[in-house]
Amino acid sequence: MARAEVNRAHAAADTPGPDRAPTPALLEVEDLSVFFAVEHGRLLRAVDEVSFSVGRGEVLGLVGESGCGKTTVAKCIVGQITPTTGTLLFEGRKLGSQRRAEDRRAIQMVFQDPYSSLNPRMSVRQVLRELLRVHHLVPSSGIERRCRELMDLVGLPADALDGLPSQFSGGQRQRIAIARALAVEPQVIIADEPVSALDVSVQATILRLFEDLNSRLGLTIVFISHNLAVVRRLSGRVAVMYLGRIVEEGDRESVFSDPRHPYTRALLGAAPRLHQTELARPSVKGEPPSPIDIPPGCPFHPRCPRAEAVCSADRPVLESVQTGAWHLAACHFRHEAALNAQGAMPLPEPEETSESAEEAP
Amino acid sequence: MSTALASSAGLGDSEAPQTVAGRPGLGSRALHSPTFMAGAIMTTTIVALVVLAPVIGRYSPVALDPLHPLSGPSGLHWLGTDELGRDTWSRLLYGGRTDLQVGFLAVVFPFCFGVFIGTVCGYFGGRLDAAVMRVVDVVLAFPFFVLIIALVFVVGVGTHGIYIAFGLTDWVVYARTTRSATMIARNLDWVAAAEGGGLSRTRVLWRHILPNTITQAIVYSMSDIVIVILAVVALGYLGLGIQPPAPDWGSMITDGQSFLQSDQWLAILPGIAVVFTGIGLSLLGDGLADVLRPE
Amino acid sequence: MTPLLEVEDLVVEVRHQSSAFRAVNGVSFSLERGAALAIVGESGSGKSLTLRAIMGLLPNSGRLLSGRVVVGGVELDPGARGYGRGHRQRERMSIVFQDALSALNPVATVGHQIAEAPRHVLGLSRHASRQRAMELLRQVGIPDPERRYGAFPHELSGGTRQRVMIAIALSSDPAILLCDEPTTALDVTIQTQILALLADLRAERGLSLVFVTHDLGVVGQVAEELAVMYTGRLVETGPTAQVLAAPRHPYTAGLLAAALDVDTPDREPLAIPGSLPDPRQLPSGCTFHPRCALATLECATTDVVLEPVGPLRQAACLHSDQLALLQAAPSRG
Repeated sequence: MARAEVNRAHAAADTPGPDRAPTPALLEVEDLSVFFAVEHGRLLRAVDEVSFSVGRGEVLGLVGESGCGKTTVAKCIVGQITPTTGTLLFEGRKLGSQRRAEDRRAIQMVFQDPYSSLNPRMSVRQVLRELLRVHHLVPSSGIERRCRELMDLVGLPADALDGLPSQFSGGQRQRIAIARALAVEPQVIIADEPVSALDVSVQATILRLFEDLNSRLGLTIVFISHNLAVVRRLSGRVAVMYLGRIVEEGDRESVFSDPRHPYTRALLGAAPRLHQTELARPSVKGEPPSPIDIPPGCPFHPRCPRAEAVCSADRPVLESVQTGAWHLAACHFRHEAALNAQGAMPLPEPEETSESAEEAP
Repeated sequence: MSTALASSAGLGDSEAPQTVAGRPGLGSRALHSPTFMAGAIMTTTIVALVVLAPVIGRYSPVALDPLHPLSGPSGLHWLGTDELGRDTWSRLLYGGRTDLQVGFLAVVFPFCFGVFIGTVCGYFGGRLDAAVMRVVDVVLAFPFFVLIIALVFVVGVGTHGIYIAFGLTDWVVYARTTRSATMIARNLDWVAAAEGGGLSRTRVLWRHILPNTITQAIVYSMSDIVIVILAVVALGYLGLGIQPPAPDWGSMITDGQSFLQSDQWLAILPGIAVVFTGIGLSLLGDGLADVLRPE
Repeated sequence: MTPLLEVEDLVVEVRHQSSAFRAVNGVSFSLERGAALAIVGESGSGKSLTLRAIMGLLPNSGRLLSGRVVVGGVELDPGARGYGRGHRQRERMSIVFQDALSALNPVATVGHQIAEAPRHVLGLSRHASRQRAMELLRQVGIPDPERRYGAFPHELSGGTRQRVMIAIALSSDPAILLCDEPTTALDVTIQTQILALLADLRAERGLSLVFVTHDLGVVGQVAEELAVMYTGRLVETGPTAQVLAAPRHPYTAGLLAAALDVDTPDREPLAIPGSLPDPRQLPSGCTFHPRCALATLECATTDVVLEPVGPLRQAACLHSDQLALLQAAPSRG
């Protein structure tokens, strides 16, 4: 069911609906779907009716494992991919596949792989100069100064401008990529796993940079990651994706301390923890199915420790978990609270043995 | 604002700047590549020699010296003479001039056109790409030399024929390699970043992608020059190339054939010249591949 | 009791363009029967090359300069030609790689690949090795083994491929399993499955494990012993829980301070100042000293080696005691 319909239904029944979009919403994604036709007339549903909005100055964390569609959503937002259906709105204006230069500048992406996100044959200065000139962002006399400012912003020395990508480490390349994104003076940055390919000691610096971009420059950030620790640190709100859909979203602390979707709980339980010495027993079995063959009903039900008959028949929609905080989950059992900070499942009925939680994957 | 982020995040000293200094420039890499240096020296030698032909060639290549036919090396004729008394040394130089000139020039159009069409096909794909690739397949399916000879027959002997024949057939290799390289580059993040930064597709294609995809074409062009020279030599051998009395290595080898028993050097010397040039250009191409790689 | 695996002073030289440097520079450790050791380090620390050197699987650019490898009391010669093939004692060790897709033969079925070692190394008949492969598929938790036997690697998901790699590693009935970042490329929910599988296999077969990773959050679950590597050397060793709770080398402390933990989002991660040095131009003395808050002149001039700093613990730091005191101070966050 489309998000707008759900909203209307709630409005009619005078119950709190899913949308409490932070105002003013800067970026809105409405019922975004991306389907690819594959052989034998089947459909690959990379993204399936995803809706969310991001307010100005917010950091929204988009969490999910590989294949959940988060990168596809990112590519749609920046205009790299044309969605099959759905609407993208920036400052209330629709974004189509052909965008004005101002709109393209307004939303910039930072990519995951620092080793393929920079043109190996262009120096840093060349990249920045070109962007500044093409968009007439500063007069010619001010270009060099602006380049230095950008280097300063990301914490690189001025002589980095002369360098080619091959001379820089992964962390430095990411900073260059961020400088490039900042050069066109965007309002939104979509960061697609920007620290996943970096060493731990370097991640902290880049994360700090993103924090500063948000707190000091007021940039709106959509931070995509599979790493819950990173998302928890940076985001104000979080959305969890699975097989192309958002299965849970809400205020960060509400989602992390009281996850209401079994998949979110599984992610939390599986997240590596520094001082954990006991093996984290997997709470989900098997692996995600192909996005060509999405299971009926709730897409997570074949792997879900909590699944019951209703789950394979009836696809749950994102609805409020009714805790007062803004928190939605797409699960028939969303009203069951988590047991502990690790998101442990509530125990099933007494006659079911602990086997169901410990079943071999 | 400019210093706010850096100092607050303590980023200034995290990641020392010395990584930026000390980058080996193209020139220094060139000097350190033995293949490149060998190729460069050999090619430069040959080019210098033929360019200086009017200066160091002692006779006109068509001047006859009926008094000294088929003579061996002497003070008068450094490398001897052929059956008509023409000075071999001068003929080698002027012949090289012709061959190298044709070699280079015949490659220019295929290179430019092939790289252009390959880039466009690789980037845009679609029907244009499909159509062009079918043409490429057809051209590639033909045995190369048969095609050249047929075209030369149609168009006429001499350098014009060679230019046209190569122009029609040689561009396909450049188109293919550039197309593949472009297709790969098209999916890379930095291209997406350039497009997302609001740069026009034309700009991205020619200013960003092309410098990365043209390397293979450049390297191949070196071998291509060798191929052209060999083709000219072969055509000359068949009598379809440069017409006498203008000298070229191919016809010199043909003429020298009759004298293999007695005056072998007449055929062997131009042969050595061809091999030397070929090796030099190939090494240069190989070396360029090393040097131009963005590490 | 003699340790099952002893590695002494392993030195691996890597050739890069015209220069050569020591990517592994004197690594020693030992492993008891049934024990597990985690080796943690960032990129360029030499941790993967260490495993490959032990297995005799160094890339062409790498060369084993020196070192002893002793398995079950028998000394091996990893530098010898033919070491990679059929050396009896070497069969007691198997390796699991990070990226199953590139480590598996794309044109052979997974069943065939699992059956290969039993057939050609253990000498079983074709039928017996096939049975063995089926059994292994079951043991690593792959459902429907009869059907999966004939699958090709690219047809399987990442987690299943990794299980296949583990099955192949087990097929020669090893006593020691060397794991080179086996879960790094996997999603976190699949990672827990694979880690659980490894733990179960350890328990069932008494396997010893050397687990190489860059993820400090995983080592606690996998191994009781931890070794930290930096620029080709071990800088700290000890029981995992102790090392993580009270590191005795500033680099370990730095890694812990930089790491994020999902349970403590309010703790600000601190980057380690400076950056990884160019392996061709390592700093003198302790290679970590340019980045170390405790560094003194001595650190730059002394060749610092692993020294005992407590029962079962070693650290290569002249100021290890000072570090311990600093951490014991109540102001630590």
